Amino acid sequence: MRKTLQDFTNQRLWALFMKELQQIRRNRRLVISLIVPPTLLVFLFGFALNPQVRNLRLGVVDDSHTPESRELVSAFFESGVFQVESYYTSSDALSRALDAGDLDAGLIVPSNFAKRLARGEAVDVQLFVDAVDSNKATIAGGYASRIIAALSDRLTQASPLTVSIKRAQPPRARSAVPRVALFYNPGLRSDWFIIPGMLGVLLILNGSLVAAATMVREKEAGTVEQLLMTPAESLEIITAKIAPLFLLLSLDIWLVLSIGYFVFGIPVRGSLLLLFATGLLCTLAGIGIGTLIATFTKTQQQAQLMGFFVNPPLSLLSGAMTPVEAMPQWLRPLTNLNPVRHFAIIARSIMFKGVGFETLYPHIFALLGITLVLISFSVWRFRKQL
Amino acid sequence: MRRIIAQARKELTQVFRDRLTLALALLLPLVLLALLGKAISLSVTNIPVVVQDLDRTPSSRRYIETLQASLTFRVAPLPLSTQPPEALERNEAYVAIVIPPQFERSLQRDRETEVQWLVDATDANTANIMRATSVALTQDFLTRMNLMAGVQPAIRAEIRFWYNPGRESEKHIGTGAFAVMLALFPPLLAALATSREDEQKTILQVYVSSISAQEYLLGKALAFMCVAIAEWVLLLASAIPLFGLRFAGTPAPLFLSTMAYLFCSVSFGLLVGTLIRNQAAAIQATQTVAFLLSFLLSGFIFPIANIPTSVRWISHLVPARYYIEVTRDAFLRGGGWAAVWHVPVMLALLGSLFFLIAWLRMRRMQMDV
Repeated sequence: MRKTLQDFTNQRLWALFMKELQQIRRNRRLVISLIVPPTLLVFLFGFALNPQVRNLRLGVVDDSHTPESRELVSAFFESGVFQVESYYTSSDALSRALDAGDLDAGLIVPSNFAKRLARGEAVDVQLFVDAVDSNKATIAGGYASRIIAALSDRLTQASPLTVSIKRAQPPRARSAVPRVALFYNPGLRSDWFIIPGMLGVLLILNGSLVAAATMVREKEAGTVEQLLMTPAESLEIITAKIAPLFLLLSLDIWLVLSIGYFVFGIPVRGSLLLLFATGLLCTLAGIGIGTLIATFTKTQQQAQLMGFFVNPPLSLLSGAMTPVEAMPQWLRPLTNLNPVRHFAIIARSIMFKGVGFETLYPHIFALLGITLVLISFSVWRFRKQL
Repeated sequence: MRRIIAQARKELTQVFRDRLTLALALLLPLVLLALLGKAISLSVTNIPVVVQDLDRTPSSRRYIETLQASLTFRVAPLPLSTQPPEALERNEAYVAIVIPPQFERSLQRDRETEVQWLVDATDANTANIMRATSVALTQDFLTRMNLMAGVQPAIRAEIRFWYNPGRESEKHIGTGAFAVMLALFPPLLAALATSREDEQKTILQVYVSSISAQEYLLGKALAFMCVAIAEWVLLLASAIPLFGLRFAGTPAPLFLSTMAYLFCSVSFGLLVGTLIRNQAAAIQATQTVAFLLSFLLSGFIFPIANIPTSVRWISHLVPARYYIEVTRDAFLRGGGWAAVWHVPVMLALLGSLFFLIAWLRMRRMQMDV
């Protein structure tokens, strides 16, 4: 008796599941939104978000006009970081060009440059950096001082061709040097940082948008009453709604991972299975957020607008696109409540560091906890409304 | 003209009735502006760093003190039993620093000694900054130990940071976020109002009335321009104290460009609204196109020059790209008309283009019926 009852329930669940799946399949917009935005986002973010500083436009005022000053300018040029945009005759003309945003940096070589070098005296060169973009300016300033220091070292070591500087003391250059070893991403590719982060953002973003749209549709169309007339229980209705979405959204994980692998060459050094499993948790968290949005709104349009309230903070305060360490101190603890934050750490660690459950368990449990709370709270609210 | 104003008044009445949308359009941009400006930054501070001191001498302790004194790091010791890369693997630290045994002795004997910096390069930009910091801090240490005395560099670089001397990230991001917000919300409202007429079939009433397509669209544009200007004032009033901005030069180019930019935004919304007849889809389209392009291809966070050329041309069609030039000029650089005269021209052209397409589309629909 109990067995037949169980069969019956399963059949009912199955029928509801098939109904949802067909509805999703017929909804072309939904299918498109499962494929197009993720692909677009990954490509655009991977290609466009590149903080590398290269080809900075340098303007030069060379009052010295000597081989030595030309050597200084070419040291900038040879670094590959600066390109000499043009020469100016006065520092006024140079600062006008900086004002107009035509240059990123300006270099002024004083007229006594070669003379002082020849006498073995220290000489100052001025460098103006456009600091509107603070990150670019910091890196450009760092490069410039390294270029000048390297040239300076070369000159003090007195190459007879250019200048001869007599020094009482033999150059006792830096006696301690840092030896930097870059781990996991030695090519310093910024797309490697962005794309695993985007995976988490996408799963939450797409999960919540699609889930909110499907959950609210029946409310909007008034077909919810018909569903309630059937012998199906409310929990079954919700499960049947969530399950097909969950299946379809999990395909997005593979979509993003394969774009990452084939287009950007991002490796997965750790366990693919663990990555997929945590991705599923993240998807479920997204569905939970979407269902929650659906309980607060009556129409699809309202649900979409609510998404605006929820999604930007989730993706911005996650460390997915910019490091959490760059956020103000008081904001950082809050990011621990964000499922994207934990998933971004998990994804990057599995993909680049190749570590597994034994080191990642705090983040995995945190993600699991957040997901469980989200999904059970939203289902509870949704059931109450049915 | 009378019909245009009547249409505009009708739109404004509808906007004020829809409280949820109105609240969203006026308050959410402010919240997002603050969030974007404060949360998006690349200048990392307080980075967890572990140090393994294999030397344990006054010199090595001095090195650690130098690290601690920098605001960038939060230094923790790493026990000798742990391999330094393990700390990186467990995400406990971004950098593991190993001071070699015989550190002090080598320093005293003028031998060159190496301090190992193991950097987690997962985040390329932070790794780059760490690399520069490693050089700077080691120099700093040598200066403190008086080991640099006697060696003077032949060329001294005197670096000045212009326009944003404190190199505050929020001034850069804030001025950009300002433009991105205006690229998102005015078009959203305009698109919703236009596609709603289609969805609820009130467009048929427009068809049978005597109003022409251009009057209908101009009326809507006028109404949403008013809303957009209100939004601009609100955003400006909060951005200036929030990010510590002030006008660097004449504000005239900013005002003129703002009008052109808001027209651009609203026309884009009208365009989306006439193309897509479903409100939910219109929201998604505006969100994806306007927000994403303004976010990624406008120089908002990273320079446009970094975008690969195959994608970069798109940025010429993104209004936010031009407007960001003006906001940064007005608040930071102060180059004035000479620097940004092209911006209002480009924005007016783009705005007219969007409006023209919307008009062509609208006119066709009217003839269909």
